[in-house]
Amino acid sequence: MMVSSADEEKEVIEIGQPKHVSHRPSSSEQPLISLQQVSKTYGRIAALKEVTLNVFAGEFISLVGQSGVGKTTLIKLLTRQESPSSGQVFIASRNLADLSPCEIPLFRRKIGIVFQDFKLLPQKTVWENAAFALEVCGVSDEEIRRRVDKVIDLVGLSRSCRNYPHELSGGERQRVAIARALVHSPRILIADEPTGNLDPVNTWEIIELLQRINGKGTTVIIATHNRQVVDRVNRRVILMKGGKVISDQEGGKYVI
Amino acid sequence: MSFSFLSLKRATKLGWSNFWRNRSLTIGATLLMMLTLLMIGLSLLISYTVRDTSEIVRSKIGLTIFFRDDSLSDEKINQLSSRISSVGGVDSVEFVSKADALAVFNRLKINEDIKKPLNEQFNPLPRSLEIKLSDVSNIEEVVNGIEQQDREKIICSDCLSYKKNKDVVERLVTGTRLAQQIGWVLSLLFGLIAIFNVSNIIRITINARADELEIMRYVGASNWFVRGPFMVEGVICGLLGTIGASAILLIGAKILTPYWESSQQNSASAIFSFMGVSLDRYLLNNLGMIILIQLAVGVMAGLLVSYLSVRRYLRA
Repeated sequence: MMVSSADEEKEVIEIGQPKHVSHRPSSSEQPLISLQQVSKTYGRIAALKEVTLNVFAGEFISLVGQSGVGKTTLIKLLTRQESPSSGQVFIASRNLADLSPCEIPLFRRKIGIVFQDFKLLPQKTVWENAAFALEVCGVSDEEIRRRVDKVIDLVGLSRSCRNYPHELSGGERQRVAIARALVHSPRILIADEPTGNLDPVNTWEIIELLQRINGKGTTVIIATHNRQVVDRVNRRVILMKGGKVISDQEGGKYVI
Repeated sequence: MSFSFLSLKRATKLGWSNFWRNRSLTIGATLLMMLTLLMIGLSLLISYTVRDTSEIVRSKIGLTIFFRDDSLSDEKINQLSSRISSVGGVDSVEFVSKADALAVFNRLKINEDIKKPLNEQFNPLPRSLEIKLSDVSNIEEVVNGIEQQDREKIICSDCLSYKKNKDVVERLVTGTRLAQQIGWVLSLLFGLIAIFNVSNIIRITINARADELEIMRYVGASNWFVRGPFMVEGVICGLLGTIGASAILLIGAKILTPYWESSQQNSASAIFSFMGVSLDRYLLNNLGMIILIQLAVGVMAGLLVSYLSVRRYLRA
């Protein structure tokens, strides 16, 4: 389905623009992330239906909705694990469909990804887990030491940096995962249900950490179905249902 | 960037530590590789031996024309000799006088009692022409050529018996070819088995580390970096397999040689002594080539298998 670019742009401007707020961009600013009429189907199942969305640098987005509404699909499109069936995804004005296989790893270094199940390497210590992300990218040992020490400190794990993941609490493990996501100093941090496996206290700590990271200028997108998290964050909330964005508002609450 | 020295170093380190961490699997793969390479080495050795032996045997097969009629003058035989040397396919012609024949007879390792009655006065041994052929397979044409040159019909009808020789030659030629073909087919088969089995084992180790692969991709490792450690592992597997297989081959030859040479009835031993080398000597002479082929097969199989197995995880 082809749509002329002029039409697309009009629609982008009409829909999905938060009208107020803290990190409000000037109207001339380019969106950091832009989804234009993105659909994704798996076989005959439509996971996303013509989603159009703009995210500006510095925003903290809560992507909410029940399981199976397309949150994870949306995140997979943003991290280029999946390609849209139709429509386009732009990050920093770059169409992700144009990325060559060689460019995908380079692109992923610019975004941090955090998962519900942490995905840490069990046989590596906290410090090594964070360092791994830089090792695989050909960063020098010296630079690795400098950057890893910094992020470990940021997530408050300096004391347990020699411990292995199984020796840590769930909240601590998620901090390690966040540290690993941050070692590349990404512009965007994407977290898929980052608090899904955590108790309330750990949840707050992680959310606080994410807010702190956002405060330093990193754009944060979290997918969650935790009502308290969303209400507490009190920033832009995008509510999804049946593969569509049904509500998008700044300072939103979790409503279904 | 992705091929930088630092990345290579890290991939090697990671590959080695993975190899060691999953040693029950990887050592299994290495042993299998070793066994396969050993089989390839053995088939190669056999096919080399057969080739070399047959070459020597063929070079020794020739025609001999006996002259039982002692009244025939040496001159006539020499005339025939020079005519024969012009026949196509003839390498050299040598005249063997009665005295030469006696000398050869006396050198034979047979019962001395048989030798006793013969001396320079009583020498019933015939004179002969020994003809060496450049290629034994066309012996029939050469025989025809020689018969045409024999204008004075001094060669008696049953003196030029090549029929027996011809059979030997033909059997040797087809036997050699067959043995070589079997050797190559076996090598190929073992190679395929190795690739198949090693690929399964490496796939298992890769599946066991699917999480690690996934994480590598999330944190932005380039595809070559993801493949790197696994390919290093494959190469280690191939290298160790080659070392093991070559060692077994060498030690085996060292152990077997004395037994082999002590049993005179053994036809293999006869072949080797015929060739003037011992089994281990022969193995050593050809070991370089065999190890090289084993190494190439081992390392290539390791690399290829790892590359193909990881490819599945790198899509998307």
